[in-house]
Amino acid sequence: MNDTMKIARKELREMFRDKRVKFGAFVMPIFLILMMVQLFGFIIGAAKGAVKSTIYIAGIPSDLSKTFETAGMTVKTVPTVDEGIKLVKEEQAKLVLAVKPPTSEGQIVIEAYYDPKQQMAQLALSGIAQALAKDNKTVLAKILKEKGIPESAAEHIKVIPKQVEVGAKGAGELIVGFLPYMIVLFAFSGGMSMAADLVAGEKDKNTLETLLITPVGRNQIVFGKVLALAIVCFLSSFSCVVGLFLASILKLPGSAEMFKDGFGVTPVAAGTIILLLLPLVAMFGSVLIAISSYARNPREAQTYLALVNFVVILPAVFSQVIGLTDLGSKLWINLIPVLNSANNIRNALLGKTDWTAVLITFGMSAFLASIAIWVAVRLFNREEVLVRV
Amino acid sequence: MVRTLGLKKYFKDPKTGTKKAVDGIDIEATPGRIFGLLGVNGAGKTTVLRMLSTVLKPTEGSGSVAGLDIVKDAAKVRASIGFMSNSTALYGRLTSKEVIQYFGTLYGLSEQRLAERMSYVMDKLDIHEFADRYCDKLSTGQKQRVSIARTILHDPPVLFFDEPTAGLDVVTSQTVMEFIEEARDLGKTVIFSTHIMSEVDRLCDDVAVIHDGVVVASGSPDTMKQMTGERSLERAFLQLVKFQAGYVSAKQANP
Repeated sequence: MNDTMKIARKELREMFRDKRVKFGAFVMPIFLILMMVQLFGFIIGAAKGAVKSTIYIAGIPSDLSKTFETAGMTVKTVPTVDEGIKLVKEEQAKLVLAVKPPTSEGQIVIEAYYDPKQQMAQLALSGIAQALAKDNKTVLAKILKEKGIPESAAEHIKVIPKQVEVGAKGAGELIVGFLPYMIVLFAFSGGMSMAADLVAGEKDKNTLETLLITPVGRNQIVFGKVLALAIVCFLSSFSCVVGLFLASILKLPGSAEMFKDGFGVTPVAAGTIILLLLPLVAMFGSVLIAISSYARNPREAQTYLALVNFVVILPAVFSQVIGLTDLGSKLWINLIPVLNSANNIRNALLGKTDWTAVLITFGMSAFLASIAIWVAVRLFNREEVLVRV
Repeated sequence: MVRTLGLKKYFKDPKTGTKKAVDGIDIEATPGRIFGLLGVNGAGKTTVLRMLSTVLKPTEGSGSVAGLDIVKDAAKVRASIGFMSNSTALYGRLTSKEVIQYFGTLYGLSEQRLAERMSYVMDKLDIHEFADRYCDKLSTGQKQRVSIARTILHDPPVLFFDEPTAGLDVVTSQTVMEFIEEARDLGKTVIFSTHIMSEVDRLCDDVAVIHDGVVVASGSPDTMKQMTGERSLERAFLQLVKFQAGYVSAKQANP
């Protein structure tokens, strides 16, 4: 076994015995993913429920009550509109309908009272519109038929949505929304808890000097530490996929909503994620070791690491909403570190892996990893940095 | 054998300018003898040992350890030395046995040699009873025994001790000093840095008094006493470093 591997093996042994690593790097991502799946599942369920929520009809119940009840809503009555508005103000009713008498042209006007600041009320309103659309269409068809006019005349231009299958089958929209962010985030923060200990901590505890006095070269020491930390970063990051897999098989509340089409992470997507993570964790591991080498003690290192964490979080957050722009498909986006990895992971999860983009991202991350490791080695070889006197 | 010639180490400080930590030191330590580096805190003792153990590169001058140049043959020098300091800690989440084994592999011992040496040092220092206990859970004395085991595991011809008994209780200090005497009897070259005069009196065959980065006197402890006309080594030392009341506190205030 060469010296780099000896150092890495010892560091890994120590890290795997550390509670901070066990919980922060491995348990936490799995726990967070399980929580997020449940949370998003609950929100989707609640949104669906809001469409079929309780509505109030002011005055005498009309025949429309049956239409709403057929659509799954619960219909209650209030004596007057004013009392209905009072209920809205007191947040006891989401939607109050006041059904007006038919006009001379036979149109029934319904005034819908709701609080526009309440999202649940808006969902209930859209539920009403959906329920009435079917009725409106039936009535219109009947009138047109009586007058001998074809039904198509009511819709001069008709849009028929037709879904086109692009790429392979992928993960659900919500999973694609948060998983790339989590994967990239834990690729950094998974190693953050231990990074301060690996060099700055050794300086502080005076164990570094005993290591420097062995025949092992300084470059081998730094390579060993980077390798160990990169492995922890990788495992922490991949724990997110493990967490998602657990959520899909454990049938937790919310799982049904999130995994309508199954687990969603195909073998190709998993392979692409691993490929993208390798240079990314090498870069993160090197950056973390460089910071730890530069700092005088673990506290100073933690301060620097917290600041650098924001540099990782920002592009990772942007990856969550990149789908709202067409930037994700531009090749130059693959030159932006962190964002490029997150975007390609997103595409892989959607089943739309673009191998050119993956290769550019891999190359870019590998290039930055080389620079980061060069900086880490340089810092580790500077005696004024390593042995502060 | 350890030898230095005009060894210097200057540190650049952007605020205070150049600090001459070691300013031209010549020493010679021979096998089978204990060479004491005597000096107050900040005199330059640790910097000398750090240069000899290749952790720091000399600014000027030369040094050799076991016949190897400390700059040109740095890796070989490190393979030929054992270094122990009271301040050096152990890895808390490794067991005593794992720490010893880890350093054995870093010193490139073969599997068979490592097994033999581990058995020897663990028997000798009575480590077996806490061999599988994490170093975080060891008492100070037990930690010191593991440190000694780590230092001698690869059977180096040269041993450096940087204030190895500082902060230790009497019993643990005794163990360390007995071990140093044994190393000398085995023909090792031992360099022992301290500011505890009783230890120098007991252990050292040769002494160099370092002050402000230079050797102000050298010879045997008896020579020091004769040179100054003092009966105790402590008083001789104080005279050699031109001690005056308030010297230390004034120096700390205006370094």
